[in-house]
Amino acid sequence: MKFSKKFSIAASLLGLGLLLSASIAQAQGDAVTIRYALWDSGQQPAYQACADEFTKRNPNITISIEQSGWSQYWDGLTTALVAGTAPDVFTDHIAYYPELLSKGQLLDIQPYVDKDKVDTSIYLVDPSLWVKDGKRYGLPKDWDTIAMFYNADEFAKAGITADDIANWTWNPTDGGTFEQTIAKLTLDGNGKNGLDPDFDKSNVVQWGFEGGPGDASSGAQPDWSAFAASTGFKLTDGPWATTYHYDDPNLAATVQWWADQHLVKGFAPGSDQLGSGVDSLFLAGTAAMFPMGSWDIGSVTSSATFKVGFAPLPVGPQGRFSPINGLSDAIYAGTKHPDEAWQWVKFLASPDCANIVGDHGVVFPAIQTGVDRAVAAYQKKGLDVSAFTTIAADKDHTYLLPMTDHISEITNMLQPVLQNIFDGQVKAADALPQINDQINALFTTAS
Amino acid sequence: MQASRITAYKRPPALKLRPRTETLIAWLFILPSLVGIMVFVFIPAVRGIYLSFTNSDLLTRSDFIGLQNYQKLLNDAQFWSSLRITVEYVLFNIPIQTVLALTLAILMTRLTKSNILRGIVFLPYLLPMVMVTMVWLTLLDYDFGPVNSVLQLLGLAKIGFFNQTTIIPSLAWINTWRYAGYVALLFFAGLQSIPGELYEAATIDGANEWQSFTHVTWPLLRPVTVFVLITSVVGSFQVWDSVAVAASPSGGPGGASRVIFWYITNVAFTQFNIGYAAAIAVALFVIVLVIALIQMWYFRADSSDLG
Amino acid sequence: MNSLDLQLQQSNQRAVGTQRRKLSWGRVLAWCFVGLWVFVTLFPVYWIARMAFSTQKLLLADPTNPFPAGLTLDAFRRVLGLLPLQMVIDEGGFPKVMHFGEYLLTTFIVTSAITIGSTIFNAMAAYAFARLRFPFRNRLFYLYIIVQIMPAVLGLIPNFILIHSLGWVGTLQGIIAPSFLGSAFGVFFLRQFFLGINRELEEAAMLDGDTLIGIFWHVILPITLPALTTIFVLAFMTSWNDLQWPYFAGGSGHIEGTTTLTVAMLSFRSQTQRGLPDYTGLMAGTLISIIPMLAIFLVFGRKIVDSIQFQGYR
Repeated sequence: MKFSKKFSIAASLLGLGLLLSASIAQAQGDAVTIRYALWDSGQQPAYQACADEFTKRNPNITISIEQSGWSQYWDGLTTALVAGTAPDVFTDHIAYYPELLSKGQLLDIQPYVDKDKVDTSIYLVDPSLWVKDGKRYGLPKDWDTIAMFYNADEFAKAGITADDIANWTWNPTDGGTFEQTIAKLTLDGNGKNGLDPDFDKSNVVQWGFEGGPGDASSGAQPDWSAFAASTGFKLTDGPWATTYHYDDPNLAATVQWWADQHLVKGFAPGSDQLGSGVDSLFLAGTAAMFPMGSWDIGSVTSSATFKVGFAPLPVGPQGRFSPINGLSDAIYAGTKHPDEAWQWVKFLASPDCANIVGDHGVVFPAIQTGVDRAVAAYQKKGLDVSAFTTIAADKDHTYLLPMTDHISEITNMLQPVLQNIFDGQVKAADALPQINDQINALFTTAS
Repeated sequence: MQASRITAYKRPPALKLRPRTETLIAWLFILPSLVGIMVFVFIPAVRGIYLSFTNSDLLTRSDFIGLQNYQKLLNDAQFWSSLRITVEYVLFNIPIQTVLALTLAILMTRLTKSNILRGIVFLPYLLPMVMVTMVWLTLLDYDFGPVNSVLQLLGLAKIGFFNQTTIIPSLAWINTWRYAGYVALLFFAGLQSIPGELYEAATIDGANEWQSFTHVTWPLLRPVTVFVLITSVVGSFQVWDSVAVAASPSGGPGGASRVIFWYITNVAFTQFNIGYAAAIAVALFVIVLVIALIQMWYFRADSSDLG
Repeated sequence: MNSLDLQLQQSNQRAVGTQRRKLSWGRVLAWCFVGLWVFVTLFPVYWIARMAFSTQKLLLADPTNPFPAGLTLDAFRRVLGLLPLQMVIDEGGFPKVMHFGEYLLTTFIVTSAITIGSTIFNAMAAYAFARLRFPFRNRLFYLYIIVQIMPAVLGLIPNFILIHSLGWVGTLQGIIAPSFLGSAFGVFFLRQFFLGINRELEEAAMLDGDTLIGIFWHVILPITLPALTTIFVLAFMTSWNDLQWPYFAGGSGHIEGTTTLTVAMLSFRSQTQRGLPDYTGLMAGTLISIIPMLAIFLVFGRKIVDSIQFQGYR
């Protein structure tokens, strides 16, 4: 009968599926496979090299790297945690760390650190970030700072010298020499720049500068965060703080200056132009510079058809500042192989792996020798990355990103406000103090 | 059709099948489908409803907390704002999409039977939503998109398609672009089951194209229309893919595209508040159910005029 | 001559009748509309092709260029895994090792199983709901309507836990199972069509001594072939493009044997929080992955056209 024939095709297809999947379930002997998850495919080759070296030294442990892009990474990890199938070791980020910690998903590695006498003072980024109540939930793997990415060809054309950018200054009132530079780089359709009295801000063909309203979840990390810090502003009083200082007048002045570069001066693109992202405008040669994190060095330089330079951020009223943020490698609390997972985390946080990763020139490892290797690797590609490394070494002028409870709710509340300031619908001085009250109320009412 | 079966008409009517046999066969026919629906949709959903009465994070705790999540929902500004954004999206999406699809389906039956045209109309549905959104992001880009280039050539002002006020209509358009052909195909299949003689009769009676639409097509298409409307409204309320691609992690410019599904995943996957996320999902379900019931009552789905 | 023969004859005449329509302004307008929609449909597809044939670098440097920037097949070679990783990196693409053949096979197995299974089971259930009388029929059908309206997110995590407790996460059956037995949508859709079928035909067959299953097979299925083909094609397309479930159930794209094409293509999306996607790889991958669907649509599309004659039996 025809019917049953069709059915048997379906059944045999399903059978084929069963067969295929059966072959996937690998036979395991004494050897242990540690699953390790990370998100940036650009970093995968570097960590694969680490994994190969690790397996050479520990022949019974194989590392299986699972890579997926940022958003899939976190969705996938959450689902896997719920199902109890999370990878043994995964890359952790402070935006998710507090939640993972409070849900008991991270293994306390302090006993291992004590037993193996791991020296935690060798890390460039404060390892205590990953310590709470005497327990340790990860070891630093890398760090990033913010610098100004600039189009070296356009800078040369505008006659801006290395000296100009090495010592440029900024303040929220008149923007200092930094704003002068922005003005010089902004061109209208008639070829007049922003310093020209006849400059037509309704017909700009090249922006001197670009930056969005800022991502509320990281305190606008690559955007106005460092500018605000250079006025002496502190968003919180440290990790696990329970009050935010979004009502600081210095912050309002900074954010307003930032928005006014578009709204009043016409030197920077607004929301409409930024729709496709800061990278797109820069790579198309439409914007001359933008502040960005060191994680973007590889993707911007490999896609650019012009020479890209990295300048230190301008010196503010209280000096030059940059946020420093680092990732850690954490062990899943439900792992079946905690000892082997620890071996791998220890190796990831060791100078040996840092050197291997450094040689790939994709990211700055958390250990100085690895950084030296990375600087050399970038040098080989013709890139001077000192703007990132100099500030990173200056512990008095770097600060950590906000890490508190309720980050996600705060982001939901704050993002519309930042957007409205940026779009000119409200003034920073009015809107920020107001939202700050609501944010701080989260810590007093909820739980 | 075989001759023997046609001659069967001349025989006197025979006895109907015995009810017990019919019941048995009916259950046999429904069983696989019912098992699938119960195991993979209904029971998980019931579990989801149960979760909405707990403070579960599926990891460390799952205590029954009664209606607390629902009380929180009533006072949650973000929930009401997502609901408003979602409704706005649906209102931009559904009417245009439905009219467009119906027009295309009618043209595909009445104007031309070109197979190539049918292929082209259906083409967007072959593309995954993620890609469709990304392509439209580049097409509608403010500085680099060809749409704005054309506007400029025509001497018109450029339009920012993804700012706080325009992002929802733009996303609705992207969805319309992808699904219009799909919905047209549903209408198309429905149009084919309308006997051609009815159109001939209408033409003989001197009806023009519009009159034969209002008197033949529209009433006879009712079961398909109600089906299309219900499924597309339900789908539209759950818009997610395009928002996930077009909006930054924080939900578009200033959170202007935080649709309700975005909020559910935000609460579930970023805040780990599974219980509360389930409560929002249940609220969404109730809203959609009410709308579907209104639609069914309005169109009286069960009565096809063909009988 | 009986009524059926008459209807057959009429339908043949009608087919001729459609050709005899005079040109009017309405028709001109209608053609303009069709032309406009064809353009609106095809231009984005051209834009995909434009990006797919570009190099990532030149595409970003010259985004307003209406033609492929630096015309090349490299993006396709990348997607098919034919380009060395270092070259991929140098071109500004994401260094991801692609096993295209494997993704294609996985997608094909998953989609075929789901499409064939769901079409059969949907048709059976829809027939029962439309034609057979049995206790609780209407109440059961309301259940289907309610199920269809349920937001998918409500069941996503419970469903994932179910599949996980069966040990099916990261397996093909894990991806296939929830859709294999059909969907409320499919049952609802086909029932609407079965309702419209003239009962006389079935009664005639029944008088002929045919069983209910026989009627279903000999009478209902042939008549509803357009609707069945439609639901078959739709199920195929939906399953081929499905992303969320195959992603979670297939092991988040980390297991080669259970990674479908759409999931594999995710690796061309932004890698970092605010990074740019690998446009060229993504668009080339999209173009290649729709080819099998296009073929299937063209084959069955013709079938839909051919089966138009069936409506004469009504």
